[in-house]
Amino acid sequence: MTKDDTAAMDVDPAPPAAPVKTEDAQALFLADIKHNVALLEKAVAVHETRFVTRVLRTTSAIRRRLTQEYLVKAITQSLPAGNALASTYLSKLDADVMQTDDDATATPAVAPEVEAYLGLLTIVFLHDQKKYQEGLDVATSVVQAIQHANRRSLDQIAAKVYFYYARFHELLGFEAALRPALLAFHRTATLRHDHESTATLLNLILRSLLNANLIEQADKLVSKSGGLPASASNNQLVRFMYYQGRIKAIQLDYSASHNYLQQAIRKAPQTAATTGFLQAATKLAIIVQLLMGEVPDRAIFRPTAMRAPLEPYRQLVLAVRQGDLVKFNATVKDAAPRFAADRTQTLIARLRHNVIKTGMRLISVAYAAISLRDICARLGLDGEEDAEFMVAKAIKDGVISATIDHARGIVVSSGAEAAADVYATREPQVAFHHRIQYCLDLHNQSVQAMRYPDGVKKSSKAFSDLDEMRELEKEIQQSLEEDDEDF
Amino acid sequence: MVALTSAGGLIALLEEHDDALKHYALQNLDTLVDQFWAEIADSLAHIEILFEDTKFQYRQLAALVAAKVYYHLGEFDDSVTFALGAGELFDLNAQSQFVETIIAKCIDKYIALRTKQFESNELIDIPTALEQVVERMFQRCFDHEEYRQAIGIALESRRLDIVEQAIKRGDSAALLQYVLDCSMNLVQYRGFRNQVLRLLVQLYSELKEPDYLSMGHCLVALEDPLSCADLLNKLAQGSPKHKLLGLQLAFDLEEAATQKFLQQVSANVAESADAVKINKILSGQLTIQLQLEFLHRNNHSDLLILKQSNANLDPRNSLYHSSVTFANAVMNAGTTCDQFLRDNLDWLARASNWSKFSATAALGVIHKGNLDHSMTLLKPYLPQQGVAGSAYSEGGALYALGLMNANHAQPLDYLRESLKGSTEDVLQHGACLGIGVSGMATGNMEIYEDLKNTLFADSAIAGEAAGLAMGLVMLGTGNTQAIDEMLQYAHETQHEKIIRGLALGMALIMYGKEEEADATIDRLLHDKDALIRYGGIYAVALAYTGTGNNKALRRLLHVAVSDVNDDVRRAAVTSIGFVLCNNPGQVPRVVELLSESFNPNVRYGAALALGISSASTNSAEALELLEPLLKDSVDYVRQGALIAKSMIVMQQPSAKEFRTHLAKVLGDKHEAQLTKFGAMLAQGILDAGGRNSIISLRTRNGTNNMLSVVGMAVFLQFWFWYPLTLFLSLSLTPTALVALDEELRPIQLEFASNAKPSLFAYPPPTTPPTQEKIEKVQITLSTTAKAKARAKKKEEAEAMDVTPSVPVSPMSATAPTSGGDEVMAEASAEGDASATPTDGKKKKKEPEPTSEIKANLTRVLPAQEQFISFAECPFQPVKKTHMSGILIMENTRPDLPVAFLEMNASKLKNAEGAAATAEEEEPAPPAPFEYPFDD
Repeated sequence: MTKDDTAAMDVDPAPPAAPVKTEDAQALFLADIKHNVALLEKAVAVHETRFVTRVLRTTSAIRRRLTQEYLVKAITQSLPAGNALASTYLSKLDADVMQTDDDATATPAVAPEVEAYLGLLTIVFLHDQKKYQEGLDVATSVVQAIQHANRRSLDQIAAKVYFYYARFHELLGFEAALRPALLAFHRTATLRHDHESTATLLNLILRSLLNANLIEQADKLVSKSGGLPASASNNQLVRFMYYQGRIKAIQLDYSASHNYLQQAIRKAPQTAATTGFLQAATKLAIIVQLLMGEVPDRAIFRPTAMRAPLEPYRQLVLAVRQGDLVKFNATVKDAAPRFAADRTQTLIARLRHNVIKTGMRLISVAYAAISLRDICARLGLDGEEDAEFMVAKAIKDGVISATIDHARGIVVSSGAEAAADVYATREPQVAFHHRIQYCLDLHNQSVQAMRYPDGVKKSSKAFSDLDEMRELEKEIQQSLEEDDEDF
Repeated sequence: MVALTSAGGLIALLEEHDDALKHYALQNLDTLVDQFWAEIADSLAHIEILFEDTKFQYRQLAALVAAKVYYHLGEFDDSVTFALGAGELFDLNAQSQFVETIIAKCIDKYIALRTKQFESNELIDIPTALEQVVERMFQRCFDHEEYRQAIGIALESRRLDIVEQAIKRGDSAALLQYVLDCSMNLVQYRGFRNQVLRLLVQLYSELKEPDYLSMGHCLVALEDPLSCADLLNKLAQGSPKHKLLGLQLAFDLEEAATQKFLQQVSANVAESADAVKINKILSGQLTIQLQLEFLHRNNHSDLLILKQSNANLDPRNSLYHSSVTFANAVMNAGTTCDQFLRDNLDWLARASNWSKFSATAALGVIHKGNLDHSMTLLKPYLPQQGVAGSAYSEGGALYALGLMNANHAQPLDYLRESLKGSTEDVLQHGACLGIGVSGMATGNMEIYEDLKNTLFADSAIAGEAAGLAMGLVMLGTGNTQAIDEMLQYAHETQHEKIIRGLALGMALIMYGKEEEADATIDRLLHDKDALIRYGGIYAVALAYTGTGNNKALRRLLHVAVSDVNDDVRRAAVTSIGFVLCNNPGQVPRVVELLSESFNPNVRYGAALALGISSASTNSAEALELLEPLLKDSVDYVRQGALIAKSMIVMQQPSAKEFRTHLAKVLGDKHEAQLTKFGAMLAQGILDAGGRNSIISLRTRNGTNNMLSVVGMAVFLQFWFWYPLTLFLSLSLTPTALVALDEELRPIQLEFASNAKPSLFAYPPPTTPPTQEKIEKVQITLSTTAKAKARAKKKEEAEAMDVTPSVPVSPMSATAPTSGGDEVMAEASAEGDASATPTDGKKKKKEPEPTSEIKANLTRVLPAQEQFISFAECPFQPVKKTHMSGILIMENTRPDLPVAFLEMNASKLKNAEGAAATAEEEEPAPPAPFEYPFDD
């Protein structure tokens, strides 16, 4: 488990072994690229962004097959010699710039979408090869080209490029310099109604702020920028929820935080690629739930992907549930590096109080009267005076109902709450309401998710050709299964 | 230096008492605002207080910071306010997104304020700072020579002074044209448009080479006949070139203006050598004559189509009978070719009652424009003293008389006599319609009174026509007295027919009035009676025709989905086609959802809206929407779709599939009557005017074609009253190129069309059905051949008077033998006897030529105009913009001999052969080149 896996959502599977280099594979690859370029050109011609979506959907499959050689061939095939961006790509790929000396002849114009798309492939490749500096250079030039072109058909590619642009900065440790640039891009994207980029950039800014522990600023940014645009993609929405969850948790608004995290976990695509994200979100969700005084469901620790990484958290839950301060302290101490890496330390520190509270409640249920010394021993506190203060606070907060007999140094519990019939209170009603609310929300969100995007009718008309329709469906199915690029 | 992570410290400084500290804080915030705006936003109130504190020295800086924060927050209105408050500190020339956005918002705000000021006529306070920003913007445009930008903003913000300034600074001629286009198509408020046009007239005249033709267009739009007459007088006294321009201008005026306007111009034309000519043009006679001549010469109507279709329709059914009548009328409109009627006398005799009325009236459409012989042609049918004829044929003849002289008040007196002299309501009906058509837009109060008297007789049949005719006579006058009277009577009468006639009449009165019609439209649309609301919808359609006005559109769309009455809803959807006819590309998008409505009336309306707006454009989008409607489950929706589609694919060589579809619909025994009616009419429209006419609600110069719009609006009433179908003939515009010399004679000349001939060829003549045996084919073919031979003989007999110097018969010059061949490929495989097969096969192998030579008086499609070239011709048109319609030519080689074409059509023997007398009375033309005008 690297830092990346847990803290960020950009879990990248290790680049798979280079595919068998046969002529066929290369021809297939180049044909795919050609097909995508044709789709991009069509998208520009008919002002239909869904073709761009189709192209980007294949990126994950293409990414796995990328090699130096293929990529160079793809670039030279799709972009004319002498194209400024193409030469940048090639030089960063350490390939000979296939530039004949006839620079002077005007190079034929290529759609900026095609340039940007090949740029994106180059960036992805350099990222997988861990050539971050080169990647950053390419990303910077593509970003400039995109900003200059200012075309709505570029939006989806732009969003991806921004993501890698920020990612390279982070990997190279240039984070501080990054934020003003991202803010400027975000402003531009907002003004141009580029919703896809706006969403991506807002998330990137939030991430940058959270990494720098600027929680207050992040919160203000969210509240002032009006949140994500409504048409943001699901993945961006999920990230945004996660960041919101983090912000709210630190600001002590646990129930809001828990809400956000739950939604993030539920809405995130449940594929192997998103494991890293799910782990990170679940960890946070567990802590927040504990802080709210609830005990997380045991089931969340069970899936194989979760079992090992969540083990320390399971220990925490056990400690809190039992009110066992000793065990709690031991776990915090043992798994300290883990928690530090997860950035959950501060929140865990807040849990201590909860442990004591639970312990206190257990004691008061179990004993009609108990001496302060015994309480010290049970909760692992330092002195009787400490214990007395804590008991007093617990009584005042209504956690337990008991009285302290100073003369004898014991706590006498009134024992009323143990005998009380919980069904006589409003408790079940509230719990029931809570569940109904949850079901209704779930239903509403599902209905919303089912809504067709605008213009779907038109597209169905355009696909008069049934074969094309079927082929598209197959393609979607396939890429959904192996969708690892988006996360 | 460690990067700053928060602006909190600086914000805290703002609370200090020392101005210097605050200044320091603001200065720093100004540079950091892009990064920390979210943080600063919380203390905005504080910064605003600093700005409002007049004692604070650096309040402008505070304003700038506030503006930037608001900009980041997306509150552009506030941002603009503060940016303006920052005064000098807000640097207009800075190349930042902030400045650009704010300037854009400033201009928007300025435009909104100016528009409001202009429309409400109130003094709205516009901040001087705002004005300054816009002023500086204009200045910047001028500095960079971006005059069009400046003009665009100036037109939107109603700044005539800037428009003028920009035109004077830049390339005046080109910019004037640009402003003219913009003001005609984009400026939606009529009051302002008139101001712009006034300015344009003035600027045009100040040009070194004044553009008289454009000035004329402006003056027509301004409804200023006196200045028009002045202009014509000035041109008539100028150089020869100016004289030619004057003639061209007269033709243009005749095309665009109303009868009333032309009469006023005519009355004010000063005595000069050219005055007679100009008056003749303005009277419209010459245009009509030339068009008739064109249609007659190039008649390509395919009688076989009619014959085949007629065989499928039972003439005992009056609906079928009428449909064939209408199809024949439209197909041969203005060609004077009544061959079909003469071939089918038996069929004709089966007409009874109102179909008799229609059949007689159809004669008027066929001979449309035959002004001189209208009376003689119709004599056998017209009511005669002492002879008791059928009221239906007599009424039809009166209507026919009107149609022949459409928009040309010649026979009005006779028609009025007939109206007064009869009490028979069918006859009155015909007379009223005739008066309406011929006396269109004369605004003549006497006629109006006559019609009103007929109306007050409260006869349903006569009253309906009278109401409609009142509207036609007062067309576009916006006369409120007339509206009041008509509305009052509509409320009083019991007859639905009369109310319907009056409702449409009121709509017609409001033609082209735009905002001025709003009060009337409101009154009509809020009426309890659905029939009157129906009229209100048409009032919207006619008042806002071709303006694309958003308010009108919104109103129509609202009614289209909310009215309780189906007729009103249908009318509302149809009217979208009228309002958007200047921008047909937009219509498919607007009616897309409506075309899928559950309500068949709305679907019908959507089909017609597409047809009307996209007429003869062959728009793929519109056709795609119509496709499902052609297979609709409701018969009348199919009818509407067929009619609409035929309008769209008019004059397109590629309409072959559609023709087969129509034939199939007509041949299908189980097809509904209404659909068959639509299919028959569609066949007529497809080949309208012997394939030489199109429907277009706009003229070549981009103004509304009044005749066409009105014809279309009344035609649509065929839903209620079939005889009104014949109004479609008013919408037909011949697509002719007519070249005249300074004496207004049609010149014998040749010009090039630099496009493949097949692109703009006539569709090949139909061949008889393929399933028949070959022998049979030959039989039918021989009949065709005979018919052709007969026609040719007749042609030769009557066309002998083509100037002998150039022995080119009009048919051989225009018949696109080479063009037709490719399209006819399959047809000729089956043995097209009329075309020479060897020739066809040889041609097929050769590549098609990329240009063709055409002669004067031939068909030039709107899409073809761009390919027309007079490069190799000794004559050059004085008007350079549009290469079709009537063109006055300048002879650049006066040394060469010139030949002229003779006018044949108006001299033809008429249908029954009864009126041969007219021709005999004429003197023979004295010399071959002299054109006998006054025959």
